[in-house]
Amino acid sequence: MSSSWLTPSLSEDLIKNNDLFKETHSIIADIMSGRLDIVQLVENMGGVLTNKEAEHRDKGMRFFTKILKELPQDYLTEAMINFISKFYIDRLKDNHRVIPAVLEGYLAIVNMTNYNVTNSGEFFTVLFREVPCQSQLRQDRYNIYCIVQTLLNKNLEYIKSLGPDFVYGVISSMDGERDPRNLLFLFGFLSTFLKDVPLGHLVDDMFEVISCYYPIDFHPAPDDPAPVTRQDLANALCPCLCAVPEFGEQCLVLLVEKLDSSLRLAKIDSLRLLKESCNTFKAETYGPFLKTLWASIHREISHKTDEELKMVAHETLSALITKLATVSNTDQSFENFVKGILISMQTAIAESSTVAQLVQASKVLLTAANASKESCLIVIRSMIPATVAYYGFKTTSKLQIASLDFLGDLYEMAVHWEVIEQLGAEVNEIPQLCLTAVSQPSKEYQIAGFKTLIRVRNALQSELVLPFIEVLVHNVQFSQDKDLLSVSVETVHAIARKYPEDIMTLVIKGKCDLENLTQDKEALQKRLNLLSNLASIDDFTKIIIEEMLKIITKNDEDASKVVEAMNESMSNASLYSNEKLTEIESDHGLIDSILSWVTSELHTGSKEGLSHGFMLIANTMSSLSVEKQQKVLSKHTGNVLEKCKSDEAYFHILSCLYSSVHQSVYDSSFEDIMTLALTLSLQSKDDDIRTKACVLVAHFLNKAEYGQKFEVLYELLKNFQSDGNREQALSTTLIVLYGWVTKALIMRGNDMFTFWLQKIMTTLSCQEFSQHGSEAIKLVMTDYPDYLNSKHHCRSGLLYKQRMYQSFKSLTGNIGPENDDTKQYYLLSWAYVLEKVPKTVLNNDVGKIAPLIVESLEYDNKDLLQVMLDILCHFIQEKHDVIALSLQTILPRLLNLSKYVKSMDVRIKSLQCLYEIANAYRTMILLPHKQDILLDLAPSLDDKKRLVRNMAVKARTRWFLVGAPGEAKEN
Amino acid sequence: MTKIADNINPHVYEKNSDREVTSTERDEDVEDEFDEREIFDLIRNINDPEHPLTLEELRVVEESNITVNNKDNTVDVNFTPTIPHCSMATLIGLSIRVQLLRALPSRFKVTVRVTEGSHASEHAVNKQLADKERVAAALENNNLVQIINQCVAAQ
Repeated sequence: MSSSWLTPSLSEDLIKNNDLFKETHSIIADIMSGRLDIVQLVENMGGVLTNKEAEHRDKGMRFFTKILKELPQDYLTEAMINFISKFYIDRLKDNHRVIPAVLEGYLAIVNMTNYNVTNSGEFFTVLFREVPCQSQLRQDRYNIYCIVQTLLNKNLEYIKSLGPDFVYGVISSMDGERDPRNLLFLFGFLSTFLKDVPLGHLVDDMFEVISCYYPIDFHPAPDDPAPVTRQDLANALCPCLCAVPEFGEQCLVLLVEKLDSSLRLAKIDSLRLLKESCNTFKAETYGPFLKTLWASIHREISHKTDEELKMVAHETLSALITKLATVSNTDQSFENFVKGILISMQTAIAESSTVAQLVQASKVLLTAANASKESCLIVIRSMIPATVAYYGFKTTSKLQIASLDFLGDLYEMAVHWEVIEQLGAEVNEIPQLCLTAVSQPSKEYQIAGFKTLIRVRNALQSELVLPFIEVLVHNVQFSQDKDLLSVSVETVHAIARKYPEDIMTLVIKGKCDLENLTQDKEALQKRLNLLSNLASIDDFTKIIIEEMLKIITKNDEDASKVVEAMNESMSNASLYSNEKLTEIESDHGLIDSILSWVTSELHTGSKEGLSHGFMLIANTMSSLSVEKQQKVLSKHTGNVLEKCKSDEAYFHILSCLYSSVHQSVYDSSFEDIMTLALTLSLQSKDDDIRTKACVLVAHFLNKAEYGQKFEVLYELLKNFQSDGNREQALSTTLIVLYGWVTKALIMRGNDMFTFWLQKIMTTLSCQEFSQHGSEAIKLVMTDYPDYLNSKHHCRSGLLYKQRMYQSFKSLTGNIGPENDDTKQYYLLSWAYVLEKVPKTVLNNDVGKIAPLIVESLEYDNKDLLQVMLDILCHFIQEKHDVIALSLQTILPRLLNLSKYVKSMDVRIKSLQCLYEIANAYRTMILLPHKQDILLDLAPSLDDKKRLVRNMAVKARTRWFLVGAPGEAKEN
Repeated sequence: MTKIADNINPHVYEKNSDREVTSTERDEDVEDEFDEREIFDLIRNINDPEHPLTLEELRVVEESNITVNNKDNTVDVNFTPTIPHCSMATLIGLSIRVQLLRALPSRFKVTVRVTEGSHASEHAVNKQLADKERVAAALENNNLVQIINQCVAAQ
């Protein structure tokens, strides 16, 4: 059958049936292949396009529009498009039924590549005259807006030349638009339209049309699958209202009115708009409104409870001041504005009776100061003296301390804007005030004073150094309070960076009397701490370290104190960088000195002192570079290893030398050490040595590079394990070793860990060893600060805990039937694993874990209960349904645990779970249990521990609210 | 219904810091007795019916106005309305009573009174608060319970 569109019968066909609409792609194909000329197609359609019935004309237009839409955009020539455009423009005058198709078709035309933009003038004239936009359907209005936008993008200059008539047309076509989606589009389009097209005398009309939507009050229909939210609309409208400077005056009048609205949303929107407007409006525009604006902002900024509102107000104030500051040279209004803020905030500060009020007012001032350099200067110039005076007449200590803090903030602001020089006189008052504060005996004042002094240390005058040092050194020597002590040391450090000479004469040679350090035994430890801290400053390193090492090499009776102080300071990475430690090691031979001291004290010294020595060595080793490490090792290994074979105490030294080596360090002695460590890990009688041996094995396995080095070490391990029928002779120490090996391997992401994990898992079903098995699992899951971390150059794969969790989960499937005893440790191992895995991972396995938890709640094991309750609490907070389904079992068990005698933590946690349950789940499922729970919770109110009582009160008062009037819950 | 608050601009006081947990409290074997501070902690966070402020911030309740006797099982709470003609005094007293009723073990006899000389109709309020039946009747009133729950719930 020949296609009807090739003949004039097309018109008849179109009128009679709708099937042809489905065949447009064939027509397009014919046109593209040249079988059909588009002119001929139009001729064939003549009958329907000029039909007397509007219905049929509509059909014809729709059909032709469909074809236009499906044609490739670059197919039609300019002449053709001109012709079709004329035709479509003419059709705009047709019956209203035809209009939708015409608009849709014209949108297709303007999108074509060869469309000549000069056609649009006529189109718009006719469109705005003939078609009342707002009487059209939603989609058709949308098409009109799209046409305008497309043309605007195509040729802005031509559209501009259409002049005010065009602008008026656009204004009147969108006047009264109500559909949220169209509005969203319009707002997006308008913000560029307004910037590009001059409005001329139509500014007022345009603003009126836009501003009638302000502030947006809109609620999306509840059944809308993809609703436009109020916030979307508000965000889109905001830039339109302040798109051009010409809107300035009207916009501000509007703003002033809406800022006083009682609606919270209107206020927030207005503040946002004001902030946004600062990007476009001229600073002069704000002049006449500043007083009212500040009044409104002031009201919102000092709002008591609404944090969001406060935040927005701060942002707005900041933007406004930044804007005004641009004309600070020519206009008095800026200064007046800032001074107005100053006066009202100073009043607020003076009247404040709580810290919260003071902080609120001071925050406003900081915002003002942060906005521009000019405002910063004005605010700080008057606020520093004011605050200093305030400190003088206020008597409550909390307010005085808060004002010290405020001074620190002001100083930092001045540094930020680089106006310190211009504020010299004012800034100098701050350290003076700090001195007044630290001269008080109270700890709070001293800490606050020192903290502020640290912040403003660069403003410290040299004549104040002496009095400060007096107080500080006294604190350092005699203070019992930890916080004060550390702040004091920190302050000395800060002053030393500015005045090294003064500190040298006053502290190091004066008060602490370095040369005769050990003469005065009193508070020696504290002085040593201070000195070792100061030694991190380059100027002092040499003199202090030398003196300290002298004491150590002399092996004075106080040597262990020196070692302790050095260890504590030097392990603080923020004081001593790796480079610094390397430098100390190469300049002063730190390791050699400590090593010889440790060796001589090995059997006689106190355990604690020695362990500080070991840590100091290990820490210094880890800071060294690969070459330096190798040098140290080759110097000492032979000797130590030899002694170690006869005396296991030397293993301590071996372990501190080797545990922090780089991954690439390897030498022939590693194998010997590995064998030694393996043997000691099982056979040593000393707990410490056993642990260190296990750790060293783990470090080696974790760090050795894959390939021969790793193979050799792993082989050693395997041989050792198969030696002497260890399979049969299970022992507790062996299980611990398994734990460390598993940990080392899993952390580097080596799959062989499953082999060792399996061994641990089999112990779980063995009555005798199940407890140790669960402890080994705990060991694998725990992070140790001193073992197997990046400080020791160990590898730590991401997510190794998740991996452990997955393997553990799959391996538990194979565990055979347990008796009650092993079951408990089986659950406990689960608890250890679950405890350390990120909670979010567990959310996917609630179905599997929840029964384990419920079961665990029956056992009388403190650790088990604590972890399981913790996870249960998390599940409840996440509102998992599984828990809701088994409330009948869980609630009695929790109530039972709320009277658990052995541990208050278990009692507290179970009560917390009860509290969270009342919070999380729907009233409907809670209500049946309410009365029982209230009754059963009563005894906990009289628990002998106060912390338990507190939680019981929280839970019980919450349960009282379940289903009661006034409960703040949706269902 | 928008009623202007009796005291539109009350004086706001500093909030006390939370009670520090001492080592004896962590010790399983030591028995902690009820003390004034604990009772104070139970009621300090009750909201004022008129303002978004707690009774502590308004100094309606103070630790020094509470007495606890563990031996005789009594708790006496005196509260101070912000102004002498405060119409909310009864409501505040009732809230304190309800909260203590829910949060204290039943062995305690609780007395809630207006601090002497701080309210115009002191005796009437005290009488109402001491009358068990009146309190019980008040708690049957849904609107009242709703307001009290809202005051008490804001922790």
